[in-house]
Amino acid sequence: MASSDKLPFDGVKIADFSWVWVGPTSTKYLADHGATVVRVESLSRPDILYSLGPFKDREAGPTRTHAFSDFNTSKLGLTLNLKTPEATEIAKRLISWTDVYVESFTPGTMAGLGIDYEVARKVNPSIIMVSTCLMGQSGPASAFAGYGFHAGAVAGFYDITGWPDLAPDGPWVAYTDVVTPRILSAIIMAAVDHKRRTGQGQYIDASQLEMGLQFLAPQILDYTANDHLTTRNGNRSNFAAPQGAYSCAGDDQWCAIAVESDEEWAGLVKVLGNPGLATDGRFATNSGRLQNHDEIDAQISQWTAAKTPQEVMRLCQAEGVPAGVVQRSSDLFEDPQLAHRRMFPQLDDPQVGPVPHTGHLFDIRGYDHGPRSPSPLIGQHNEQILKEFLGMTDDEITEAVIAGALE
Amino acid sequence: MLSPYTVLDLTDDKGEFAGMLLGDLGADVIKIEPPEGSNSRKMEPFLDGAPDSERSLRYFAFNRNKRGVTLDLNSDDGKLALRSLAEKADFIIESAPPGEMDRLGVGFDVLRQVNPRIVHVAITPFGQDGPYANFAANDLTLAAMSGQMSVQGDPNRPPVRITVPQVWLHASAEAVVGALTAHARMLATGEAQFVDVSAQTAMFWSMLHARLAHPIQGSNFNRGGSVLQLGTLSVPVVYECADGHIVALPSGATMVKMVHWLVADGVVPEEWIEGEDWPIYERNLFQENAVRYPMEEVVDAVSRYIKRRTKAELLELGLREGVTLAPVSTAEDLVRFRHLEERGYWLTAPLPNGSEVRALGVLARPTATPMSVRLWAPALGQHNQEVLGDMLGLSPASAAAASGRKG
Repeated sequence: MASSDKLPFDGVKIADFSWVWVGPTSTKYLADHGATVVRVESLSRPDILYSLGPFKDREAGPTRTHAFSDFNTSKLGLTLNLKTPEATEIAKRLISWTDVYVESFTPGTMAGLGIDYEVARKVNPSIIMVSTCLMGQSGPASAFAGYGFHAGAVAGFYDITGWPDLAPDGPWVAYTDVVTPRILSAIIMAAVDHKRRTGQGQYIDASQLEMGLQFLAPQILDYTANDHLTTRNGNRSNFAAPQGAYSCAGDDQWCAIAVESDEEWAGLVKVLGNPGLATDGRFATNSGRLQNHDEIDAQISQWTAAKTPQEVMRLCQAEGVPAGVVQRSSDLFEDPQLAHRRMFPQLDDPQVGPVPHTGHLFDIRGYDHGPRSPSPLIGQHNEQILKEFLGMTDDEITEAVIAGALE
Repeated sequence: MLSPYTVLDLTDDKGEFAGMLLGDLGADVIKIEPPEGSNSRKMEPFLDGAPDSERSLRYFAFNRNKRGVTLDLNSDDGKLALRSLAEKADFIIESAPPGEMDRLGVGFDVLRQVNPRIVHVAITPFGQDGPYANFAANDLTLAAMSGQMSVQGDPNRPPVRITVPQVWLHASAEAVVGALTAHARMLATGEAQFVDVSAQTAMFWSMLHARLAHPIQGSNFNRGGSVLQLGTLSVPVVYECADGHIVALPSGATMVKMVHWLVADGVVPEEWIEGEDWPIYERNLFQENAVRYPMEEVVDAVSRYIKRRTKAELLELGLREGVTLAPVSTAEDLVRFRHLEERGYWLTAPLPNGSEVRALGVLARPTATPMSVRLWAPALGQHNQEVLGDMLGLSPASAAAASGRKG
């Protein structure tokens, strides 16, 4: 193999005991780029994503949902029922095999299962172990367990999403589940690099709340320094106007337009074809436009009402005005820019056949990358992992099966 | 973890969190600004509300763990200094419009000649090329074009973004994952790497399982606001309490405990306790089996109970009883959250007006290589002498010419 064929994380081994979205997304980055990632599951405690759609052709089934498969590409599947002592022993062998051990349960769970960091470092002194949960491993609320919408509320994202005259809408589904995996993946990559250079492993407590707060840092400082609280404001900016999602021709079709400078405002006035706006002193400055936002919105809405969102976007962009169609999944699938970035590679899923997946979100020039293989079926690679990685004999595997350790 | 590495951070507001994350992970980050300062220095919120390049809390929030240097990249001295710094660096991160770095003569093709092991990361709205590469864009239009807005907000209002800008933070975090992946590839191949980060695709990930809903199931997901869609059920999850809102799921698991509180409070009669098989309540609803108390009645009872109590009371109660009741936190709630206090999360930061405030703590807690804040955000050109003089050995005259600052 030529050195240029070598994948970035070739040779890195990860035992992924995490579930739902945060842990599995974090390890997916490494898996897609060459790491050997063993995703550990149990039939006794199936990933809650299996019951969430979208299901291929609307036919429900554990491995038919993209909520799981699009987040677990390039991994191998192992089943272990950690409530059996035989499975605990196999888990320890996996822990001594691996470089990185990731888990995302309520604090104390791994200790209860007999595979916490104290145990892990005994069988593998240079191991990197990552525990990620909502609140972190210590503190009075460490046992707080919930779904992503609970986490989004606690971390401050609900209050700032929605309309000032209504109760908070909150971000789409599980917002901390999209904020934290990239940060966590970067931390894991850095820890792997540190281990490569020094041989040193470590334990990492990664609280999803604490990682998530960073995405609100300016507003938290605005409170601690200025005593000023930011709350939800629809699509309006507190600093520049006009900004909004404007209704276009068709059913529930919208185009976002967001002016941030006098130059962009001049462009928008030109697009709207209403010279009166240019000469009206109330709209000449940003603060004037913020004060008269409703009136400007009425003018824009009148103009957008009979046009398609694509038309609105093109006309605005032609004058340098930031504008973008509010795209749905169906629009995104036909977005020429995403197509240019080869964003939807087809992978031949063992359960549902060839289906589009999300491609890599960044692009490394000269490296033809993308998810390497579809997500594993539950326990799909048991034999390969137990024999080749852990060196178990056929007899040992049979005993494990009889004990129910592989369920 | 990344202490052997040097990062040149040439980004503006679009990428400053990337350099910060690398700095938090231990890298020596040199923030390179134009002589007039990064555009983010002009961004709200400002300390004491006073617009001043040393008082932007936006800048302060995302430039910790960086040394600050000014370079005039329009001058030959400035370009030369950048090339000299690139010789000593491992990573360069920039967020210039596509082609801009090449036009200035400091693009990837030039810098890789200077340093054949450099990892160059470019953050732009849509990527370096493609049909939308030169579109004007900002947080709102990218939230729209990435698809996130299409599933966010009240169905009777326009699609809505998160009020506090998020897009560049996702792009920045993605850039760090890309940088560390490319660094691993550089180690494998021995070649310089160029990473092309698109904010649109980074944000696209935040649609989670709605991303590919259309190609997989043949239809888009719709925005539901504060109502959660569970199969055919529509369940409100946001409840008004005495001092704001909380998020709760009135599921069977919640009701097993909560029904006792409702009875004790006189919200519902005692027969509610035995009147329903609460542990399987939502299964019965899903399967359209007969239930004694329809969902609306349960939601109404829960609403009345919650309305009488504060966020803090409900959180404490939930933690004690094992029921997930999530406060819709504001910055004020977060700063007062006892859990973060007891975890020692908050740091004290000196501000330019001489005051000290609570500032955000570290992202995670690795044991062997702790993350810390070694430096708060630099004043404009604070480290010009240290970097241009001491590190590069430029004469005072050359350093002044390169920095574009007098004296």
